[in-house]
Amino acid sequence: MASLNTQTRLFMLIDDMEMVAKELFELQLMNVPKSQQKDGADSVSLMELLIQKDSEIKSVIKLAEEQAQIQKLMDSLKLEVDKRDSEIKNLQRSLKEAETILATAIYQAKQKMQAVKQANDHSTSSEEIIKFAHRISASNAVAAPVMWGPGDPRRPYPTDLDMRQGFLGGMCTYPDNSRHPPQTQTSTEQHLPTMPGGAMQGIGSSLSWQPSQEVAMTLTSTGSHHSIHDLKGHNKENEDVELMSSDSSSSSSSDE
Amino acid sequence: MASKMSLSSAADAEEQLKLRFQVELEFVQCLANPNYLNFLAQRGYFKEQNFINYLKYLLYWKEPKYAKYLKYPQCLHMLDLLQYEHFRKELVSAPCAKFIDDQQLLHWQHYHRRRMKLFQEQQEKMQPPPHNKPPPS
Repeated sequence: MASLNTQTRLFMLIDDMEMVAKELFELQLMNVPKSQQKDGADSVSLMELLIQKDSEIKSVIKLAEEQAQIQKLMDSLKLEVDKRDSEIKNLQRSLKEAETILATAIYQAKQKMQAVKQANDHSTSSEEIIKFAHRISASNAVAAPVMWGPGDPRRPYPTDLDMRQGFLGGMCTYPDNSRHPPQTQTSTEQHLPTMPGGAMQGIGSSLSWQPSQEVAMTLTSTGSHHSIHDLKGHNKENEDVELMSSDSSSSSSSDE
Repeated sequence: MASKMSLSSAADAEEQLKLRFQVELEFVQCLANPNYLNFLAQRGYFKEQNFINYLKYLLYWKEPKYAKYLKYPQCLHMLDLLQYEHFRKELVSAPCAKFIDDQQLLHWQHYHRRRMKLFQEQQEKMQPPPHNKPPPS
């Protein structure tokens, strides 16, 4: 019977040898008072058994030595494996860090590229921007003038006076034989000359907005079939509606 | 549309286009005036589909190549708001227009007020505070 464990085998063999030695000694001790033949045979067999056990022990010890060497080798190999394992883990960690750094860098680079693309798509010359900034600031259109007080007529939007003095206001004339005679008139009503230029004109005396005093004006018939919305069409609502609809259909055809 | 034009020559067409540009430029800037918007709302212009379409058409002024001609750029914001029916309905009431007017004025004066505040702070720093000496006990 071969036990799997070398150590157990060795111990068993030692125990066996101990037992055999004990028997031998007992036999010898018992042999002293009387001598018998079969005892001699027994002692020889016991001696042989003892020798056999001794040789077995020696072989098992040799086996144990070999196993010990194998175990040493195994330990050293295990050590190597652990070393390699830790190196691999380190590499993995650095790879992961590199990946995150690269991902961040790529993301930021993409954003930068988007910004560059956007800037290129909507590029405007600085001169135009400066011109525009000057136009809207010089006339106090976006920032109040320094000495502005509550009674000041200037406003951040075109006032009614501005509107009358502008191009649109000048395109309208008074009704001479109009369908709806005007109800009220302001003192400034006269046929204003048409003003060229696209921007609104300057500021005059203070006139607060009084819608009830708007004058009905008709359009001139000089071929201007455009979207001229009547600024003061107080009485000419229907006509304005008609004009509006016709003008909208003529000029803003894309939206109809 | 072509049939409505009395003259069909190319030069005249260009003249008409120029005219239309000027007219629409002036009109879109008039939209910056909240009193004018109230005026339009009270006369029911905002209820007509044609006018609403026209307001949508005027959104082309938001493009840089057109916007550079504007003197009152706030009109673009008002134009944006006018696209919403709720806003158009609200503008019928005079208090609404007055509120917008007040806010516009306050915003207009914002830069000036900030400068005044900075000047005041600067002046306070320069002058030593006169009443801060504790009385000797």
